[in-house]
Amino acid sequence: MTEQEFDQLLSKYADVVVRIGLNLRKGQRLILRGILEDAPLMRKVAESAYKAGAVYVEPIYTDERIARIRFEHADPESLTEVPNWMLARYEEYYERMDAELAIQSSDPELLAGIDPDLIAKERKAIRQKYEPLRKYENTTNWCVVATASPAWARKVFPAVPAKEAVEKLWAEIFASCRIYEADPVAAWQEHVEKLKKYRDYLNAQKFTALHYKSPGTELTIGLPEKHLWQGAQAEFKNGITGIPNLPTEEVFTTPHKDQVNGVVSSTMPLNYSGVLIEEFSLTFENGRAVKVSAKKGEETLKKLIETDENAARLGECALVPNSSPISQRKILFYNTLFDENASCHVAIGNSYRDTIVGGEDMTEEEFAAAGGNKSLVHTDFMIGSDQLDIDGLKADGSRVPVFRKGEWAIKV
Amino acid sequence: MTSETQHQELLAKYAEAVVRVGLNLRKGQRLIITNATSRGVPPAGREFVYAVTKAAYAAGAKYVEVIWGDEEMLRLRLQHAPADSFDEYSNHIVDATMNMIQNGDALLSVYANDPDALAGLDAERIAAMQKTHLTHYNKIGAQVSRNAMNWCVVASSSPAWAKKVFPDLKQEEAEEKLWQAIFETTRATLPDPVAAWEAHIKNLKARAKYMQAKKYSSLHYKGPGTDFTLGLPNGHIWGGAQALAENGVIFTANMPTEEIFTLPDRHRAEGTVAATFPLSYGGSLIEDFSVTFENGRIVKVNAKKNQAILQKLVDTDEGSTRLGEVALVNATSPIGKRGHLFYNTLFDENASCHIAIGRAYRFTLTGGAELTDEEFIAAGGNVSLNHVDFMIGSPHIDIDGIKDDGSREPVMRAGEWAFEA
Repeated sequence: MTEQEFDQLLSKYADVVVRIGLNLRKGQRLILRGILEDAPLMRKVAESAYKAGAVYVEPIYTDERIARIRFEHADPESLTEVPNWMLARYEEYYERMDAELAIQSSDPELLAGIDPDLIAKERKAIRQKYEPLRKYENTTNWCVVATASPAWARKVFPAVPAKEAVEKLWAEIFASCRIYEADPVAAWQEHVEKLKKYRDYLNAQKFTALHYKSPGTELTIGLPEKHLWQGAQAEFKNGITGIPNLPTEEVFTTPHKDQVNGVVSSTMPLNYSGVLIEEFSLTFENGRAVKVSAKKGEETLKKLIETDENAARLGECALVPNSSPISQRKILFYNTLFDENASCHVAIGNSYRDTIVGGEDMTEEEFAAAGGNKSLVHTDFMIGSDQLDIDGLKADGSRVPVFRKGEWAIKV
Repeated sequence: MTSETQHQELLAKYAEAVVRVGLNLRKGQRLIITNATSRGVPPAGREFVYAVTKAAYAAGAKYVEVIWGDEEMLRLRLQHAPADSFDEYSNHIVDATMNMIQNGDALLSVYANDPDALAGLDAERIAAMQKTHLTHYNKIGAQVSRNAMNWCVVASSSPAWAKKVFPDLKQEEAEEKLWQAIFETTRATLPDPVAAWEAHIKNLKARAKYMQAKKYSSLHYKGPGTDFTLGLPNGHIWGGAQALAENGVIFTANMPTEEIFTLPDRHRAEGTVAATFPLSYGGSLIEDFSVTFENGRIVKVNAKKNQAILQKLVDTDEGSTRLGEVALVNATSPIGKRGHLFYNTLFDENASCHIAIGRAYRFTLTGGAELTDEEFIAAGGNVSLNHVDFMIGSPHIDIDGIKDDGSREPVMRAGEWAFEA
C-alpha cells in the first residue's frame, strides 16, 4: 500500500465515521478521544467533521505510557487521586449535546506485570469519579472505532516486522468497516437493515430465557419481562440516529440480573486494563458469579468481579454468528471492539438502559426491579464458537432454536 | 554523536533539574504539564514529558496530569471550520489548570512546537482564534502573573523546531544538535546540574539587588536603529531567576534563564526600538521589525515580514499597545554566545535584552498583587491579554540608568554588564 492509497482509505474511513457512525449534524461540536498514536485518524475525522459543518472539534489525547509510569513510580497511596475537572468537562459536553468519538487502540500489554490490586484500586477510583456521567448514556451521538497502533498491531501479529504488522491490522480494520467497498455508506446501510431484522424477530418472540450449550458451557440466562433487543443502530436522546460501534455485527439485550444459572466458559482471552485473562470460566447461581477460575490472570478477574456489589452479575448478552466477517478472519484482536463482533458474548456488570423498555426514564430502583444491573464496570467476554447452540425459551415452556453450531437458526 | 543511553541520562538529569530547581515540586503536590500555544504539549515532547513525570513522582507528586495538544488540529480548524465559529472554545485546559492552581499545585509548560505551525494561514482567522483563546486563558495568565503557584517554562526538542534552528543539517542531526543546545543551556551536561543552578541563581540575584538599590527612574537604550527611553515606575522590583509563589514555594520560572527583569511604566516610553531577533508569535514569524512609542503608547510598527500579524498583536487590546516587562541579559550569556537564533522566546530572550508588549507581572511592582486593575494601571503597571517578549539586545547596544536628578550611569556597554555585583 502506498502512502497515498493509505491516505485515501483513511479519508474514506473518517467519512464513514462522521457520516454513518456519528451522523454528525451541522452546528454540532465534536469531542475526539484517543491516544497519541490515533492522531492520523483524529485529524482526518476533524477535517471531515468541519466539512460536515462542525463548529468545533476538540481532541483529547492521552499517552498510555504516562499511565504506566504512574503505576511504576507513584506512591501507591496516591493512585486514587482523580482530579475533579475531568468530570465537569464531560458534563459540559453532554449538556451541550456534543458528539463524541472514542478511539480504542490501546496496547493490550500496557499494564503487564503491574500489581492487579493497584490497577483495581486506580480503576475503581476513576469509575466512581465518573459515575455521575451514567445518566448521560446515549444522550448524544457517540461512536467507538479503532486505529492500528504499533503496540496493538505487534500483539495481534507478533510474527511479522513492526511496519508490516501495522499495515496488516489496518487492512483488517478497513475490511471489517467496509472501507474497501465501492460505496461504504451504501454497504453500511444494507448491513444495518439486516441486523435490524434479527433484532425485530427476537423482540417479537418475547423469550423468557436463553439456554446456551457448548463445550464447558451449560448456561441459562433469564431475560427481563421488558427486555429489548438492540442492534447496529441507536437513537440518541438528542434525536440523532447513528451507529455506536464500527465495526458492529451484534444484536444484544440485557439478562435478568437475578436469573442467570450454570457455567459459562470463555472462548477467547479477555484483555482487561492491559492484563490478559485466559481460559476462564464463571459459575452463576441466581445471577451471581459464585466461582471463577482462569489459567492466566485469575487474580485480575476476581478483582474485576469484586469491584462492587453487582460486578459479579451480567449486564449484556449479545448474539454474533460464527460466520461474521470478523470471526472468519480467525484472528484474536485483543480488543473488545473487534473480538465482540467475532463471537457471541456476555458482559459482566452494568446493563444498558435502552435494553429495557422505558429503562432510560426509570429510577435506579425501578431499573433494578425490572431486572437491569447497575455496576461501575461493563466488561464483555467471548463465549461463542462453531459448537455453540442457543435455544430461546418461551413462557409456555416451548423452545425455539436460535443458534445452531454458532450460526443463526432463524430465517429473517 | 550521543548514544541512546547518554541521551536518556541527559534527559533524566534535565528533568530532575526542572522538578527540583525549576518547579521545586513539593511532596504531595499535583503537577499539570501543558502548553498554551498548542492547547497542550505537542507529541514531540513525549520523551521529555516521560522523564519529568518520573522525576515528579520520585519527588513525591500525588498526581501528574499531562494535557496533550496537536498543532495540526489548529491548522485544520483554521482551514476548514466555518468562518463564524472562531468564538467557540473549550474551557477544559483552563478549568483543569485553575482547579490545580486553587488546590496549590504546580504548573509546567513544555514547548515542543513547530515555530511555523500556522504559517501561510489566514491572518484574520488566526487573530480571531487567538483572541478567543486569550480571553479565556487570561484567567491562568492572571494567576501566573501573581505567582499564585510554583510554575516553570521549559522546552523539548521537536522535529520542526530543530529543522528551523538548524536548516542546513539533516533532520536527525538537527534534532540531536538542538537537544545538545538545550542540555547545555539548562546545565544538564554539567556533573551536578542542581548545584550549578544554585550558583547561577545566586549571581543573578546579586545583579537584581544592585539594580534594585539604584532605583533608576528610567533606562536609555542606544544602538543601531534604536534610540529609546523607558520609564520605570516607583516601587518597581527587579527580579531574577527565583521567585516566591503565593503557595509558599520558591521556584525558578524559566529554564534556561539569564535575565533580570522588572516592569516599565506603561505611560513612559519614547522613541524607536529595533528588534534584534525575529519574533515567533502564534505560529508566525515576524522579522526585521521596529516599534515607535509616544507617551508609552505604540504609535507605529514596521516589519519586513508579517507586519499584519504584528499589527494584529498590537491591536488585541489597549494594553497591547504598551509595555509590561523590561529585561537585561548580557550578549555573551551561554545562549547569546551560541550565536544562533532559537526562534523561541524562552531561549532567545535569554540571549538578549528584551521588552514585552502587554501584561506586566504583578510581582514586579511593590504590593502589585493586591491592587485592582485600575490601581495597578495608575501605578504604571500594564494590563492586557498578551505578554509577548521581543529582543532588542545585541553587542552594539549601550544602556544607561537615569536617576531622578537626571544623572546617568552606565548599566550595559556593547551588550555587556557595565557594573560589578
